[in-house]
Amino acid sequence: MKPVIHLPLIVVAVVFLGAVPWFGCDVLTQFGINVLLLAVLAQSWNIIGGFTGYPSFGNSVFYGLGSYGVAIAMVQWKWSFGVGLLFGVALAVAFALLLGLPVLRLRGHYFAIATLALGQVMTAIVSNVELAGRNIGLVLPILKNNVLFYELSLIVLAAVTLTVVWLTRSRFGFGLIAIRENEEAAAVMGINTTLYKVLAFTLSGAFTALAGGIHAYWITFLDPESAFDISLNVKMIIMTVFGGSGTVFGPLFGAFLLSGISEMLATEMTSVASLFFGMVIVVAVVLTPRGLVDLTRCIRAQGWRYLSRNIRSHRL
Amino acid sequence: MSALLEVRNLTKRFAGLVAVQEVSFEIRENEILGLIGPNGAGKSTLVGLVSGTLTPSAGDIRFQSHSIRDLPAYRRARLGIGRTFQIMRPFPGLKVLDNVAVGALFGKGRGESNLERAREEARSCLEFVGLGKHIQNRADELSGPDRKRLELAKALAMKPKLLLLDEVMAGLTHVEIDEVAGVIREVQRQGISILVIEHVIRAIKSLSHRLLVLHPCEKIADGPPDRVLADPAVVEAYLGKRRV
Amino acid sequence: MQLFLQILANGVLLGGLYTLMALGLALVWGVLNIVNLAHGAFIMLGAYACYYLFTLGHIDPFAALPIGAIGLFGIGYATQRCILNLVMRAPIFDTLLITFGLEVVFTYLAQLAFSADFRTINPSYAGANVTVAGITFPLVRIAAFVIALGLTAVMWLLLLRSRLGRAIRATAQNLTAARLYGAEPRHLYAITFGLGAALAGAAGGLYGVVSQINPYIGATLTAKSFAISIIGGLESPLGVIVGGLALGIVESLTALYIGPTFTNVASFGILVLVLIIRPTGLLGRTT
Repeated sequence: MKPVIHLPLIVVAVVFLGAVPWFGCDVLTQFGINVLLLAVLAQSWNIIGGFTGYPSFGNSVFYGLGSYGVAIAMVQWKWSFGVGLLFGVALAVAFALLLGLPVLRLRGHYFAIATLALGQVMTAIVSNVELAGRNIGLVLPILKNNVLFYELSLIVLAAVTLTVVWLTRSRFGFGLIAIRENEEAAAVMGINTTLYKVLAFTLSGAFTALAGGIHAYWITFLDPESAFDISLNVKMIIMTVFGGSGTVFGPLFGAFLLSGISEMLATEMTSVASLFFGMVIVVAVVLTPRGLVDLTRCIRAQGWRYLSRNIRSHRL
Repeated sequence: MSALLEVRNLTKRFAGLVAVQEVSFEIRENEILGLIGPNGAGKSTLVGLVSGTLTPSAGDIRFQSHSIRDLPAYRRARLGIGRTFQIMRPFPGLKVLDNVAVGALFGKGRGESNLERAREEARSCLEFVGLGKHIQNRADELSGPDRKRLELAKALAMKPKLLLLDEVMAGLTHVEIDEVAGVIREVQRQGISILVIEHVIRAIKSLSHRLLVLHPCEKIADGPPDRVLADPAVVEAYLGKRRV
Repeated sequence: MQLFLQILANGVLLGGLYTLMALGLALVWGVLNIVNLAHGAFIMLGAYACYYLFTLGHIDPFAALPIGAIGLFGIGYATQRCILNLVMRAPIFDTLLITFGLEVVFTYLAQLAFSADFRTINPSYAGANVTVAGITFPLVRIAAFVIALGLTAVMWLLLLRSRLGRAIRATAQNLTAARLYGAEPRHLYAITFGLGAALAGAAGGLYGVVSQINPYIGATLTAKSFAISIIGGLESPLGVIVGGLALGIVESLTALYIGPTFTNVASFGILVLVLIIRPTGLLGRTT
């Protein structure tokens, strides 16, 4: 997709999506909030996983910190929602800076496992903290305004997508891509790889925390299990990879498409939806490892042979 | 005139194995220093130590009279040290043009911050090494010799003062070797000092102002090519005696 | 002091079971470089196999273990041969994702088939104890410990001494060369993965005897197996033993001295520390 098209498409999409609550029913708006927040998660993951090449299984920690930031701020200290959001983001940034440094020294699946373990540790720690309501969690004040949450989610999604667009055009983004493609070469060419990785991780975490904070206030309730839920992290990875990791619109495609299908199936039978998810992942990784964006780009030129070529180049 | 690069008593140990032992030498402004020696003598290790990908066990490295021994690799790159890798390290998913643009963006000083200008500089570097036709190809689609040219272009885009070339001629035909030698000479004419590691004696002899010989991990000769190549120790260790 | 020794003993016995749990994962990871996120699902399936063989087939759980293991071998072989072999040369992240997808599929198939109720395997001797020097050792746990270490030793011997083991290791180290020597990688990889699944299945059966099972235990057990493999290091089966014992003891001690809700903090905290300080594991070689 030509970079020139990015901005106009985004503007059109924002206007179109923004109008949805006024024309659709309440159920659609609620579904929309879920999808938009998932898209934010996917796009944020894209920054550290897709562009920098560090597959984080710990973004759910940022989500949880954002949720708990808002919850603690509003419930325990009676602050406003806005300040609560900022507090959540501050927590996420602190975590990214402190733990990002040691953990980003690890490569490949060691990084993935370290972030996974961090998620487990955070869940367990928060379950024991009095301020956070321990195992039981916290109940937030109620605000019944789905439209507000919807538009807020849309704004955050636009912000993170614009950030990703900026990555494709900036020196910083180029540096991240160079790190992903060959970290050692990137270092000898003048890129401060440690700084860049930590910045990417922090940026990714900040937006994820925003999503967590909005979600917490929207459903007015959270507990450690659901706030730091690892399946959320896996969802954001799958949506991004399925749509196209390292692209601007890939995570959005992935999020919208997979959420939509999962929602349709969930109304029939809940476990079948998850089963479907699992099978989609397996098939997608085999046939379209570089995601939907790459598929749409290449299928015109290569037709169905695109699929068999992928298999042939990757099979034993 | 003080040396551009000064290496003093540089030593590198890998858990009991000594790769480089007390090596001292210098590279002056605008000179081509050839580095030869049998495989395993520590040549690539030396390049790693100077460029910052390896940390020395002992000794000092001074660039433009300042010690760079404790500087990370990216800082040395910004000071003006560029290198190629023996086992090439392109950015495979990126186009050739963008591979080189990275060098322009992050090289000497703080590099170029404008993407378009960086791409322009990348274009001229690629023309210079002879890859003008391939700028829109993906880096992993290039043939072997073209990849070597890409490595060179990437390093050149950084506008280095000192260029470390690790076996850029390996696997090339005679004609290609002459072409690369021509490019290297042209680079030196533009004011850049170059350290060239090679096994192709014919090429390195005519290219270098001075030759440095490493064997097994120590320097055994240092001087003008004719004298070094006639040195009996070098002949014994590396070149092999001529059968009469 | 008595209490401490008892807790230590509990930890060691638990460690034996943990070792067996992690062994299959470490084998597949160390030899094939496959990070199998579906490992826990294999343990879960092994547990259910043992459960149904016991409750419906009236076969003693310990006798049912080999049957379950063979069944899981089959599932593992088929999974590798038909699905995983298709992505073996892809970036390693792809195997991570695909095995995650398989984990989801297995878990939900299990939920559909077996329902989400908690179950235990309760042979008549489940509560039998042996008391030595004031420390109580549940018989079942001792049996699990012995079987676990025994299987580990067998695995080690198989890999190091047998022809099959050599073929597997050769293929893992150099695919092309092994092919030139007549090894058939697709088959060998599938056998290795099948062995990993079989070990997981055996561990599952033992797990079902000492703890409760439901379709969702897979994820946590996978995470624990990871922790054990990394803490001990992937260099040799001895590393898995070290890792398993370490985790078992740490969890037991944490449960007593800090609190049962902190066991995960301890286990995964140690994992993070090991990754940061010594990624090759306690027994691994540092490069």
